Amino acid sequence: MISELANHRTLTRAALAAVILTTPIGAPAQTNYAAEAAKNPSAASRPTPRMADGHPDLSGVWHHFFGIGTIQKVGESFVIGGAFSPQSAGLYNAPLRDAKPEYKPEFAAKLKSLNDNQVKEDPTLHCLPPGVPRLGPPHQIVHTSKQAIFLYADNTGNQWRVIPLDGRPHGSDPETAATYNGDSVGHWEGDTLVVDVTRLTDETWLGDNGLFHSRRLHVTERLRRAGDTIQYQVTAEDPEVLQKPWTLSRTITLQPDALEEAAPCVDKDAGHYVTLEHHDNTR
Amino acid sequence: MGAINPLRWAAVAALSCTLPIIAHHSFTAEFDSGKIVTLRGVVSKVDWINPHIFVYIDVKDDAGKTTTWALQSLPPLFFRGSGLTKDLLLSNKQEVTVTANPAKDGTAAYGFMTKLSYPDGHVFSMSPQDADPNLRKTQK
Repeated sequence: MISELANHRTLTRAALAAVILTTPIGAPAQTNYAAEAAKNPSAASRPTPRMADGHPDLSGVWHHFFGIGTIQKVGESFVIGGAFSPQSAGLYNAPLRDAKPEYKPEFAAKLKSLNDNQVKEDPTLHCLPPGVPRLGPPHQIVHTSKQAIFLYADNTGNQWRVIPLDGRPHGSDPETAATYNGDSVGHWEGDTLVVDVTRLTDETWLGDNGLFHSRRLHVTERLRRAGDTIQYQVTAEDPEVLQKPWTLSRTITLQPDALEEAAPCVDKDAGHYVTLEHHDNTR
Repeated sequence: MGAINPLRWAAVAALSCTLPIIAHHSFTAEFDSGKIVTLRGVVSKVDWINPHIFVYIDVKDDAGKTTTWALQSLPPLFFRGSGLTKDLLLSNKQEVTVTANPAKDGTAAYGFMTKLSYPDGHVFSMSPQDADPNLRKTQK
């Protein structure tokens, strides 16, 4: 036993590299939507709370970006669970079945190039903000009669959007710069909050895998509260590069715990990529 | 031998196929899942940052020279609610055994941590095979 120990130390202190034959497995999407919904199965059938003005009250913590619950404590040890545990992988890896945006044919080569080079080209992999719509559904909403504030603890950093609900138009100053989250105004269509977003920078992607867009991007978000869920739908129109509007839907579930601020994002990977392999980074 | 033998654990980790670990970046673009480095050292620093935390291990060679390994791990949110925190990682000053996949680009003392084992037998493991409770029972 002692000699085994001594040998082991010698080997390990020399930082022995053992070549092991392994077969890589693809990374799961690690989205939390289905896992969050499963924790609260009757959420959608609860009563929908309303504001004094009669509109649904959207306030609450609704979603966590991804991955919460992946590390689990077992005795004094910590092991991987969530999307990587046989018991819960199905929930975390539930397919989102998103439609793909349809680009004009002349942009096919650009799209392919950005996708092929995602590890270098994806702004979010280098800690830049995802912007709207890639930011996804809000993690928390603070809702008053005059405005809704959307908060996000994104893994690129903390994000916020202030959405006026007082009927004002978009800002009209042409000198105002485009931004990651754009200029949002909201109005109600029945029980659905409709958020119209303009003045978005073209430095972001619509989503994973090289989905670029132009400065003509116009985003419409629709939020409809049903009990303790919100049906979130987002449509991106970009007549410059897309053949037709692109829409995706998410259902987010009221969360019992507080939103925790995101840790700062520091890109330490950029100089170390050797290949261009990448996997999905679905939000 | 009633106590858990951490060295045997390390040997298990080195001899079995440690599945490539999953991060939201492309792990395979940066780290070599076909190679495993086994280190013994002390956790000297932790960066609790996105997109992945980093754990730094001070490893002494036989001549007494210390090399600090920078080991990437998972995104901070993955640890939320588990009790595994920066403070916990730093509080244990014992020598630990760590397995890691080294950087493909040859950067020295840089890798992706697959398992950290403490002398008393408890571990922080990112191998999907350790997620299986039956397998954990077998190991113990």
